[in-house]
Amino acid sequence: MSKGRNGSSRRNFLKSAGLVGAAAASAVTPPVAADAAPAAPLSKKAVPPGPRQIAVETLAPEKDPVNQTSSGGDFMVDVLKTLDIDYLTINCASSYRGLHEAVVNHGGNTKPEIITCVHEDIAVHMGQGFAKIEGKPLAMACHGVVGLQHATMAMYNAWCDRVPVLVFGGNIMEADKRAPGAEWLHAGVDIGQIVREFTKWDDQPASLQHFAESVVRAYKIACTPPMGPVFIALDGELQENPIADRKALRIPKFEPVIPPQGDAGALAEAAKLLVNAQNPVIVCDRLARTPAGMGHLVALAEALQCAVVDNAGRMNFPSRHPLNQSFRRAIIGQADVILAIEMNDLWGTLSHFHDRIVRTSNPATKPGAKIITLGVRDLYLKANYQDFGRWHDVDLDIAGDGEASLPVLTEAVLKLTDGDRKSVFTERGRKLAAAHQAMVERSKTDATIGWDSSPITTARMCAEVYNQIKDEDWSLVGTAIRLSWMHRLWDFKKPYQWNGGSGGAGVGYNLPSSIGAALANKKHGRFTVAFGGDGDFMFNPGALWTAAHHNIPILYIVHNNRAYHQEYMYLAAMAARHGRGVDKMDIGTTIKDPNVDYATVARGMGAHGEGPITDPKDLGPALTRAIAAVKAGGPAVVDVVTDPR
Amino acid sequence: MRMFRVFAAAVLFAAATLGAAGGDAQAQDAPAGDAAKGKAVFLKEACFTCHGRSGQGGAYNGPAPILAQTALPLEAFRAQVRNPVNDMPAYSDAVLSDKDIADIYAFVKLLPGPRSPRDIPILNN
Repeated sequence: MSKGRNGSSRRNFLKSAGLVGAAAASAVTPPVAADAAPAAPLSKKAVPPGPRQIAVETLAPEKDPVNQTSSGGDFMVDVLKTLDIDYLTINCASSYRGLHEAVVNHGGNTKPEIITCVHEDIAVHMGQGFAKIEGKPLAMACHGVVGLQHATMAMYNAWCDRVPVLVFGGNIMEADKRAPGAEWLHAGVDIGQIVREFTKWDDQPASLQHFAESVVRAYKIACTPPMGPVFIALDGELQENPIADRKALRIPKFEPVIPPQGDAGALAEAAKLLVNAQNPVIVCDRLARTPAGMGHLVALAEALQCAVVDNAGRMNFPSRHPLNQSFRRAIIGQADVILAIEMNDLWGTLSHFHDRIVRTSNPATKPGAKIITLGVRDLYLKANYQDFGRWHDVDLDIAGDGEASLPVLTEAVLKLTDGDRKSVFTERGRKLAAAHQAMVERSKTDATIGWDSSPITTARMCAEVYNQIKDEDWSLVGTAIRLSWMHRLWDFKKPYQWNGGSGGAGVGYNLPSSIGAALANKKHGRFTVAFGGDGDFMFNPGALWTAAHHNIPILYIVHNNRAYHQEYMYLAAMAARHGRGVDKMDIGTTIKDPNVDYATVARGMGAHGEGPITDPKDLGPALTRAIAAVKAGGPAVVDVVTDPR
Repeated sequence: MRMFRVFAAAVLFAAATLGAAGGDAQAQDAPAGDAAKGKAVFLKEACFTCHGRSGQGGAYNGPAPILAQTALPLEAFRAQVRNPVNDMPAYSDAVLSDKDIADIYAFVKLLPGPRSPRDIPILNN
């Protein structure tokens, strides 16, 4: 542990002062033993000072500096600047006050700029949403122990979603430097242990050089597929004390890892299987990690003229592409070869599961179908949390980054495609295009049912929103549970028009992550729109204050079915199973009596608020007003009272 | 709409079997439905939570089928309620009587079905 210039640290101040005070007091009033004889009467003449009193009054005080010209926090900011980190989302806390002050004053509050959040869950979720739009992480800082405990839910979502977030948590490592009270409650021997099961890597640097190397290492690990959150504990002394020798410190050079491409021989074998297949199907989930990813998948699908079923973990494939069969999942059962790329849940995608009294499952694939997997997800797993899903047999398992491997695979497919196969592919593509168009028309027709109903149908809600944003450079960054009308009705074709879901299905993700994504979209001038459930909104409504405070424009639609509706349905299923009636399922599952007025909540946070909208005729004008507020530079919320699904 | 297709296929098979075994007589015995009562039951017994108040369909563990103007015969409809395929909860007569089901059936048969999307300009963006 480094010391101050005079060998004294900040926390030694109180200790030193205390010692001096005690010495002085004992010199003035010497302690009297309980069994001592009564003291003689005091003489009227003053008693001369003893040697201890003389020492207190005449010796120079212990060195106790009150100013310093450098701090470890300054160096930490220098390190962050080399990584081009745009933002530091925080909920302020004393355990990282040294870094906080250095970001503001030494760093000029730029690269990173502080984003004030009212909960650590918001701060990390903003990082998750930001990274999926911007393609790089931001940093987040939280209090020791308690702040990190608040952050855990969001870190778990980021972990499950394979998204990089650089999380810092304050700590005071040396016990003799902790003040009485809270500093003990907020310190730990190993605070990284709190999040280790759902972070890719963590460290607790013991020196500034150690900090520099660990932060660059953490950033690199976080950004290397499979990506994920990382954690660095920040020692209080390290942040706050002066730098002993700045010239002796070196900031390591960051060079990103080139994501691993699948084995060329294995990709050639995959190409052979795909080219010779009668009905190949591509399924994918978290494939596109850069703007190039979608184009790579389009190129492969078009080379094969094969079906694509997109689980929409990222913006992988255009919604209106003729080969998009995402809402015709029965096609998986017709496939003789399935290429599964960067899948989160392969078994779940290729199986039918039956949530009945006796839980069973059966394959969604036809017997003998060949399964090829390509991805990096399984290259880094942990044991406790079961986010890896159930085992599924595969025939060719290629370890490699999907996006990096696709161009090689496509090239191999094109080389193997002769004239005869090309004719077969063309005919297959024609049939798929017709089926896709029928699917689009079916979606539009389905959307008309209950068009004028109140509560408003989710189809109409989504159609009304699209009608008003379709000519903007829009980016949809959030949806509610099982709300898929946007993907059925909207024309998604740009890499930033969708960024996937929460990852861990941890409620409270949607509002703050959408605002984080909006923060990323802001500098690109895009129009950010998001949907979210009312239950999700209630976890982190304070995120709206952050959006208002930092002028982050976003149109946020509350899909307000006044319930934790998935749970409502589960409860009804339990009651029906027991033959006990399902008319009391609103107990514990609904958010009513009183109804929450989300528009008023929004206005209270400094955002524009519209609603509650119950008549579908009122929705269009409310959206127009809200969009004007967003274009003026701030957040706007539209509370739409909807049918459940 | 995988679940819808499985559901439809299963109930059509059931209807054909019933027809061969004298389904006409059973249909004549079936209680007549009261749409107004059916609406009340539909909303009270949580049918709307998966299928929507307008019978527009929705989602539970998977897609929940459209019920507005259902093309299913009553017998097939009742068979699905009593012994559903996939994840739909089974409603025994302790929860829904045959009369309740007939009422619900009458209600969903009267719900407005789909319109032409061409009549709704914003669906043609």
